[in-house]
Amino acid sequence: MKTEERLFSWRNSWFSLSLGGTAGLVVLSLIAGFLVLPYATPNSKLGSLWDAICSAAGVPRATAPSEQVAPTFKTSAVVMTSQMPGPTDTRSVGRGATLAMQCAICHASGRHSQPDTPNLEGQPAAAVYKQLRDFKAGARVNAVMTPFAINLTEQDMIDLSAYYAYLPRQPGLHPDAGVPAPAIVIRGAAMRNIPACSSCHGGGEVKAGAPWLEGQSAIYIKAQLQAFAGEHRRNDISEQMRNIARRMTAQEIDEAAAYYASRP
Amino acid sequence: MSACTVGLLVGMAIFAGVHRAVMPQAWIETANPRTVHIAGEFIESNLGSAVEADGSVTVRALGQQFSFTPQCVVVPSDTPVTIRATSADVVHGFLITGTNINTMLVPGYISILPVKFKTPGEHTMPCQEFCGLGHEGMWAKVKVIDKAAFATLAAKQRRLTCVE
Amino acid sequence: MLNSKRLVLAHFWLAFVVFGLALLLGEWQMFARSPLNPGLGNSDWYYRSVTAHGSAMGYVFPTLIAMGFGYAITELALKKPLIGRRWAWTGLAMVAVGAVVALIPVSLGLASVLYTFYPPMVGNPFYYIGVVLVVVGSWIWVALMSINMIVWKRENPDKPVPLAMFANVAGAYLWGWTAVGAAIEVLLLILPVALGFKDTIDAGLSRVFFSWTLHAIVYFWLMPTYIAYYTIFPRAIGGRLYSDAMGRIAFILFVVVSMPIGVHHLFADPQVGGGFKFIQSVFTAMVSLPTLVTIFTICASAEIASRLRGGRGPFGWVKALPWGNPMMLATTFSLLMLGFGGVGGLINMSYQLNTSIHNTQWITGHFHLIFAGAIVIMYFAIAYDLWPHLTGRILKTGRMMKAQLWLWFVGMIVTTFPWHYVGILGMPRRMAFYDYANPEIAKQAFSVSMSVVGGALLVVSAVLFFTILIRGHRAERADPGEYRFAQAVHEPVRLPAALNGFALWLTLMIGLTVVNYGYPIAQLLALGSSTSVPAVYVGAPQ
Repeated sequence: MKTEERLFSWRNSWFSLSLGGTAGLVVLSLIAGFLVLPYATPNSKLGSLWDAICSAAGVPRATAPSEQVAPTFKTSAVVMTSQMPGPTDTRSVGRGATLAMQCAICHASGRHSQPDTPNLEGQPAAAVYKQLRDFKAGARVNAVMTPFAINLTEQDMIDLSAYYAYLPRQPGLHPDAGVPAPAIVIRGAAMRNIPACSSCHGGGEVKAGAPWLEGQSAIYIKAQLQAFAGEHRRNDISEQMRNIARRMTAQEIDEAAAYYASRP
Repeated sequence: MSACTVGLLVGMAIFAGVHRAVMPQAWIETANPRTVHIAGEFIESNLGSAVEADGSVTVRALGQQFSFTPQCVVVPSDTPVTIRATSADVVHGFLITGTNINTMLVPGYISILPVKFKTPGEHTMPCQEFCGLGHEGMWAKVKVIDKAAFATLAAKQRRLTCVE
Repeated sequence: MLNSKRLVLAHFWLAFVVFGLALLLGEWQMFARSPLNPGLGNSDWYYRSVTAHGSAMGYVFPTLIAMGFGYAITELALKKPLIGRRWAWTGLAMVAVGAVVALIPVSLGLASVLYTFYPPMVGNPFYYIGVVLVVVGSWIWVALMSINMIVWKRENPDKPVPLAMFANVAGAYLWGWTAVGAAIEVLLLILPVALGFKDTIDAGLSRVFFSWTLHAIVYFWLMPTYIAYYTIFPRAIGGRLYSDAMGRIAFILFVVVSMPIGVHHLFADPQVGGGFKFIQSVFTAMVSLPTLVTIFTICASAEIASRLRGGRGPFGWVKALPWGNPMMLATTFSLLMLGFGGVGGLINMSYQLNTSIHNTQWITGHFHLIFAGAIVIMYFAIAYDLWPHLTGRILKTGRMMKAQLWLWFVGMIVTTFPWHYVGILGMPRRMAFYDYANPEIAKQAFSVSMSVVGGALLVVSAVLFFTILIRGHRAERADPGEYRFAQAVHEPVRLPAALNGFALWLTLMIGLTVVNYGYPIAQLLALGSSTSVPAVYVGAPQ
């Protein structure tokens, strides 16, 4: 509509009322939200008025020092993200292949591996790397593995994990496609805080640092679950596996181990 | 009429705030999820319930795919409790059923919540935010026990949980 | 005068096909997590389905309805052909391609991050690229609506912009600005990570950007519904709109205050200061104003229609309303569901009450009641009203229409009321299944089963809806006459500039956004890398 009316002018009541009203509401809310309510919050530990304003605005505060209880055992100090252990190249794989010759006694390929050791072919690099770091640091202890791991350098561990990740997965020891997936594997037990195994160990999703379980020996899987449940193995970051294993029944452990061992 | 309604709503919000009902977190603190398990207050051995010098209790908890640590939180009844929690990976939700304790755990930040449990009892503590394929299995527990019973336990151990 | 019939029909049909498919997914999800499901439940498929359902219903379906309806309004209200019809087809193609590009990785399980994205979880980049395409396609519509109104105003300097077009452009501007938050989140924060250029992301900052979009998107979904209330409903029941100016003010209020309030979705988040939570809570209360204005105006318009038909008495006039009219029925149901949902919404907007239901099934119940209930039932009514003008054939299925609307209303109540209830009991949302054997969860089994029944009613209603529309394409040809929007009791002759354009209101909208979001965003940006956390990629190679 053609009008001579100027909209952006204080004389225009639409302009002055809407802008004034909005600004007034903002100012009132600022007073209430930044000056009044901070003092109404329990334990807000406010010093000055400026403190109150900063807290309400969301300026971060440094965490106050507190007394901490130190661990009585060695926990894993590995930083585990989806980027670990970092990019690798063919040279790294080659060096890993050489280093892996000493591992082959126990971790021989596929069917020849010993039942109490894991198959490493095709494992995600992050899974192998994390366990090697933990063995070296003493967060995970094994009479056979620890002496080997202690002598590995950081680069050795990266190379070894790159090598095993590079290899194709080997068929399991006793493949039997007929074994149905038990409830504990595909569904877990929600109220006992047991998510489905497949939500981290492949099948559904792979969590950074989690190993593949398909085709692993039942004896090895069972032994590890029992070790987690019994607090004999504690290198899982912030108890993520212990939380699960300790709530599993003996039967569920058997079922999960047997199922994964039967996978091709 | 409409303006009155809005005024009433805002008034209610201020009234509830001033009268010390549940309030938004009073300030912001940050935490690095990569290293929470290596150093700082969220290391494994420091999680759980701790008695403070003033008699209040601090509960430290960590959310991760797909469990809370500790998996079972034990707190005294009728005692001021401060929950301090963070996430080690993705966004999780922190909900104690049957109470109005309900917050988010966003990786990078610490959630701080002053709460009080009136009576002893058991609650479930599910993760209420989608955190990945195992989200539906992320249920922890909270046990509220009598103040005196809690004090007895606290005399023996500096960090308490009810993990079996 | 509707020149672009094929364009409008293409939008509506694509929208409704997407809606039908997503509805089936929704009902399957209800069943899958209920105690009626005898199987074990599979969280992988469940979350794929939730992501697809949410993305289709949230991003694709209402956007297409708003676009198609917007093009129809432009021609019908301005009484001239749409400017930029080719661009409109381009926009539609982008939305269609975007929807397919987004949903392929979702169905393959490569992007089970739900439609709210949830960084630091990061899925397949094509999911996000698809969503961006949908949004950019809709921005073409935003530009076209703006251009069409401006050109018309230049050609008709002495006339007020018709209310339907004014409201339509309000919706377009609202969407154009509100989509910016999610666009920034996806383009600047998530996509670089999904494409592998970066491996960390600030989850807190991402959530703030998403909240910018998250609340006002609901008002964008709501716009066609409100346009139908004001400009179709009074005419359809043989009455007049009580006040044209009230309508304009309601739409203006939506433009100004629906955007800078999204932080109320972050009440429980640890990265936003309490002061900003409070300010946005105040403006959230403000956004109830346009709805209260609307309910008053629409009820008054209904009373006018009734009195014109001979309705008498302080309440007796309600009986004289044309209850057999589908538009009457749809609007009544819509307002009822809006009322119930609105009361629930007042609980969500209060920090204190919100803590008892935050992220429980209550929230799912709430937004289904508002969106799938109050809003979508009016989409049906809009389609019924426009169909004869789009097809040139009569839509003579009155009884079936009534049955369809009744079923949708009852189905929605039966679905969402138990949902609210289990939310109060503390049932968390977005879980693939629950252990009903547990005594605490067992209390919720009956309610969850009821929701499945409600969902089944909704599916039946949708089947009727499609039947009616398809029959409409085969019915005998007839001239539906000229399309009319509702006339106001006092049609505006002259309007103050403020009620005939958006310059002032867009200034206020952007200004308020800067006040309410500027500092929280700047603060989080300043924290920089210290709060950026490692991305957690989903859908990793198996």
